[in-house]
Amino acid sequence: MNSKVNFTFNGTQYSGEEGQSVAAALLNSGVTSLRSTRFNGEPRTIFCGIGICFDCVVKIDGVANQRACLIAITEGSQIESSQ
Amino acid sequence: MQKNNPDAIVIGAGIVGACSALSLTNAGLKVMIIDRGSVASGTTGAGEGNILVSDKDPGPELTLALKSRDLWFELQEDVGDSFELEAKGGVVVARHDSSALMKLAEHQRAAGVTAERVNSAELHKLEPYLHPDLSEGVFYPQDAQCQPMLAAARIIQTVLARGGQLVSQARVTGFEISENTIKGVVTSRGTFHSPLVVNASGTWAGEIATLAGSQLPIAPRKGFILVTEPAPQYIFHKVYDSDYVANVASSDADLQTSTVVEGTRSGTILIGASRERIGFDGSMNFEIVRKLAAQATSLFPVLRDVQLLRVYRGFRPYAPDHLPVIGEDSLISGLWHSAGHEGAGIGLAPGSAALITDAILGRDSFMDAQAFSPQRFAGARL
Amino acid sequence: MIAIIGAGPAGLAAARAIALAGFAVTVIDAAQKPGGQYWRHRSTVDGYKATRSEKYFSTVMGNPLVTYINGAQVWSATRSEKSIYINYLQSGVEKRLTCTDLILTTGAYDRSLPFTGWDKPGSMTPGAAQALLKGHGVIAGKSIVISGTGPFLLPVAVGLAAGGAKVEGVFEANSPLRWLRSPLALLLNPEKALELLYYLKQFRRYSIPVRFGKAVTEFTGHSVRISDVNSDMTIKKTNVREIDCNVIATGWGFVPDITLGGILGCNQVVDKDGTVVFSVDNNQRSSIENIWIAGEATGIGGSDLALAEGHIAGLSVIGKRIPFSLNFSKFRKRLFARALQVSYPVNPGWKKWLNRQTLICRCEEVSCGQILDSVEELKAEDARTSKLFTRAGMGLCQGRICSRNVAEIIGESKELRVSDSERIAYSNRPIAAPISLGTLGDGISSK
Repeated sequence: MNSKVNFTFNGTQYSGEEGQSVAAALLNSGVTSLRSTRFNGEPRTIFCGIGICFDCVVKIDGVANQRACLIAITEGSQIESSQ
Repeated sequence: MQKNNPDAIVIGAGIVGACSALSLTNAGLKVMIIDRGSVASGTTGAGEGNILVSDKDPGPELTLALKSRDLWFELQEDVGDSFELEAKGGVVVARHDSSALMKLAEHQRAAGVTAERVNSAELHKLEPYLHPDLSEGVFYPQDAQCQPMLAAARIIQTVLARGGQLVSQARVTGFEISENTIKGVVTSRGTFHSPLVVNASGTWAGEIATLAGSQLPIAPRKGFILVTEPAPQYIFHKVYDSDYVANVASSDADLQTSTVVEGTRSGTILIGASRERIGFDGSMNFEIVRKLAAQATSLFPVLRDVQLLRVYRGFRPYAPDHLPVIGEDSLISGLWHSAGHEGAGIGLAPGSAALITDAILGRDSFMDAQAFSPQRFAGARL
Repeated sequence: MIAIIGAGPAGLAAARAIALAGFAVTVIDAAQKPGGQYWRHRSTVDGYKATRSEKYFSTVMGNPLVTYINGAQVWSATRSEKSIYINYLQSGVEKRLTCTDLILTTGAYDRSLPFTGWDKPGSMTPGAAQALLKGHGVIAGKSIVISGTGPFLLPVAVGLAAGGAKVEGVFEANSPLRWLRSPLALLLNPEKALELLYYLKQFRRYSIPVRFGKAVTEFTGHSVRISDVNSDMTIKKTNVREIDCNVIATGWGFVPDITLGGILGCNQVVDKDGTVVFSVDNNQRSSIENIWIAGEATGIGGSDLALAEGHIAGLSVIGKRIPFSLNFSKFRKRLFARALQVSYPVNPGWKKWLNRQTLICRCEEVSCGQILDSVEELKAEDARTSKLFTRAGMGLCQGRICSRNVAEIIGESKELRVSDSERIAYSNRPIAAPISLGTLGDGISSK
């Protein structure tokens, strides 16, 4: 149970527990910003934690604006900060 | 409420009302704008901000559109650069047979429109993300766009700064009329006296005419606009397929869809132009939404991965002959109409305002407005 | 065919009632595992009566009468005369579920109020801290301050402390004396006193300080400023304390998620506290004959009330009589929910905390000053018009976080009460979840 899952975020290798969300795994790894805002370039990460606020959106395997708090990490997935 | 009696009352704080009010103000009149809601709370608030010459057949509407387009840029000088006016240009893509489109473009050129036929290479240079199979089209550099709600607000702000008044949340309930001459407007916030009233109430223009004891055959036509999440810039002009040109002039009550796709400064992409003529039913029709999405992605396959965020619905006012109604009422003197601009209200507003101001003041205008006269419906059964 | 949208307490209680009576039911839920926001699936942390959920999980999961569709994001729904069509996305594929009777249990999410720095990383809702902990086994931060109002702050604080975080304090804006206004609710719900005692014991165990009449009014990213607040939420004394912390969890009650019922056309009303909820009859039936609604979407009341309402809705759908004991149970829990409203109000003075630079719309980065300017200069009179001018509420979350705040800021600046129709307008949206244009345009192939 709770086997390790490896993924990359902005090119850096990270790992988390199976079943963890992208946001949770990155927060647990000490990543405090998932993206910069479009207009002011401010850092953002998890806020509502349940898929309502869309603050934690990232690009996952090429698909933009995915909610990092809802999507579970999968082995080898490539996650990038949304622009 | 304490308000000075104005020289003219404009009913409607949408784009047509705002432009009419500014034009009258600039002619030296003290204007009061009345709205049942607030600024841009009707059709203007649910529009894309189209300022198009490309979608019009030669005729009075095209003449109005061409003048109006130039007036938008003059208006920007007058009001200030604050409503995202942009001459982004339109690209009309021929989906199947291009002959009808090319014939229209030829007629438009004769009427003074810049309409450049583009081949496949030119087309894909204008719009690199277009489906590779699309190989022919027409480029209309005069087509423009603005943020219509901001435009209405900025124009009204200018009117107020020049001594005008705005009375919002005031529903018109009747008129004071004596000997078929308008004396004032009765609203839920009081009665306001003026010898001159401009009905610029869009989809409600028919009701307003009825309250004055006259009539105007303006009906609402429903339009949907799809709004996507912010995306990278995939679309550089207003892009639509040539079916749209035929659609605007349709009086078929069945649902028809054709697509207009464009990017906005905020990064969202707007997909619009569905036209369905039904009453004031505000309900959602997901089949139209699906069809619009399918048509947009067939033009721009890259949009397949872009997510839909919101759909907004608006009602576009139109007259049976699809021409705006601009001029004095056929029965009530002092009551003027400027309504029924359908999906072209933003584009035609400044020109319509110039026409109505010229007519009110008895000045010569840039065109003969006979085709838009409310008289054309006089005696017709509604 | 009966369908239930949502697998939180209300949804599971409804499914259980239906299945135990021998009827088939389909439960469709966005999460991978059942439980909703309240019953998170990792039981790494004990809470009050945390094992109660087992009864529901076991009768519902693995029951041949219950079809459970998980990981399904419902994005739209339509109805014909007799049927309801639920369109959902599962692993990127759009599917459709058709039912004749529907129970909506769409729950609620934290209500957030803006303050200086609430947009900085480390500022989150108590629900986020709870979801990270219970759902993913992650402690939101090493040192945490909890602020806002309502009883939900208590289990969050205890959970985080038990998980190993240093909870620097719970700052509750309202006074506990407000409970004295609801003697009947307290009398009829004696078990609530036990729950309170449980939490007080836990607070002592983990040495968590609790302070009343205080609120966090600024977050710098590594510390918070605490102010004394009056009962109307205006600031009595600003910056009475500064506490170092890397996470600030603030929550001001809950917002019912009413999007789907709104799309289906179920009647809504504005509750006393300004939240928009569905109007339902005694059997939880909505204004539409074959749609029932239970749980937070009919009024914030917590899991106990949601369980009773879900049970009633389940029985009503299959035409069973509602036992008196169940109705009475709902009555007293509803009374308690009213008492919660009275005890933990979000009074209008919070707007006085804002300055022109405070961000109001997180998605489109619209400041308080821009919203006030849209009123002053552009003559916006409601949230909708201001939104068209400033883009507040037009971003990815579609105003779920900010639209109520925008409306109330505008209302206050114009000294007007926010009308019920405006509250209903800003609470509804035409699409329940984003869907890609490709998927949308392809339509549903297999029906």
